[in-house]
Amino acid sequence: MKLAIDETRCKGCNLCTKVCPYRIFKEGKHPNLRGIVVPELDRPERCTNCRLRHLYGRQLCGVCQLTCPDQAIHWVEEEPYEPHKVAIEY
Amino acid sequence: MSFEDWFRQDRLPHIYCAGCGNGTIINCTLAAVDSMGWKKEDTVFVSGIGCSSRAPGYIVTDSLHTTHGRALAFATGVKMANPKLHVVVFTGDGDLAAIGGNHFIHACRRNIDLTVVCMNNQIYGMTGGQGSPTTPRGCISTTTPYGSTEPAFDLSELAIAAGANYVARWTSYHVKELERAVKTGLETPGFSFIEVLVQCPTNFGRRNKFRQVADQIEYIKAHSLLKAKRDRLLEQGERIPEDMYVVGELMRRSRPAMGLAPTEVKP
Ligand SMILES: Cc1ncc(C[n+]2csc(CCOP(=O)(O)OP(=O)(O)O)c2C)c(N)n1
Ligand code: SF4
Ligand code: SF4
Ligand code: SF4
Ligand SMILES: [Mg+2]
Repeated sequence: MKLAIDETRCKGCNLCTKVCPYRIFKEGKHPNLRGIVVPELDRPERCTNCRLRHLYGRQLCGVCQLTCPDQAIHWVEEEPYEPHKVAIEY
Repeated sequence: MSFEDWFRQDRLPHIYCAGCGNGTIINCTLAAVDSMGWKKEDTVFVSGIGCSSRAPGYIVTDSLHTTHGRALAFATGVKMANPKLHVVVFTGDGDLAAIGGNHFIHACRRNIDLTVVCMNNQIYGMTGGQGSPTTPRGCISTTTPYGSTEPAFDLSELAIAAGANYVARWTSYHVKELERAVKTGLETPGFSFIEVLVQCPTNFGRRNKFRQVADQIEYIKAHSLLKAKRDRLLEQGERIPEDMYVVGELMRRSRPAMGLAPTEVKP
């Protein structure tokens, strides 16, 4: 699973940067198209829910998602890794 | 299923200001409702008027956005007409304790089977920041420009004195505890009251020296006193600082209740 911030919803309040035990959310630096400075994710693969959700079969931690007042934080399924065939031209 | 499924996705993002804690409380309440396994058709959300009271408009179930202060009066009607419905009320401090004060104490007295979540931002947020009955002494609002001189209402104590079966207080910082408290409230027959201290950066924080939303959250966190700790301090005969908010489960009892669904009525 992959952590993601929905840029169409986030209002840049930075509350998420205060609650994550791993400090995955960092204050952003650049405004997006809507003029909102969306937080950046620092190595999001450390998130408990990303790592263990499928193993335990239930939501884990999720404090950032409950705290985000704008329902902008969610998890997306990752595409399974696909080995690519590399065509080498001689 | 998760609490996200209870939102009307077409209505989001909501109109709350950046950093307004009302959204957090809706998340926690919906997470608790979701964990009850209730059907959406059997669940009704009711509210009055105010920023807090806009909450039901973002939820997929049937809802009532009523007149200022009358959320509990309408909710009483819904519950008494059809006790099988699960009725959850969202309200604000002004809505519940100022204009709706009488409905509040009588709903507690009757102990009607409702769950009430009060977003207490200690201000009239929607109308531009007038002082409310819960504005703490010394705080600035547009109607108390030199600081409020009145003592503030303790809504949870009021609910306990008036007879509510379940009373808890948490804050918008304590999301997991809040979710659990709302769940207990939903499970408890009779009137359940969950008071949530919440930040209103636009109309409270801005005037009261909280420059960033996070500053107010830090303040709320630092001024929350767990009930267990409060009791311990009292036992040791120590004074409780006046600016602390006691958080935790404050009351759980089983007074006779009204509006219970037929299966819940004990013989
Ligand atoms: C009968 C009536 N009186 C006054 C108002 C104006 N009014 C609208 S919202 C509000 C205060 C809301 O405060 P609160 O319940 O604390 O909600 P908040 O916006 O702080 O969440 C007032 C006085 C009204 N709409 N109807
Ligand atoms: S779920 Fe918990 S660990 Fe994962 S990003 Fe959110 S707060 Fe951090
Ligand atoms: S808490 Fe939500 S709205 Fe606020 S900055 Fe983080 S993602 Fe954005
Ligand atoms: S005025 Fe206050 S309570 Fe209303 S939406 Fe803005 S921050 Fe929230
Ligand atoms: Mg208010």
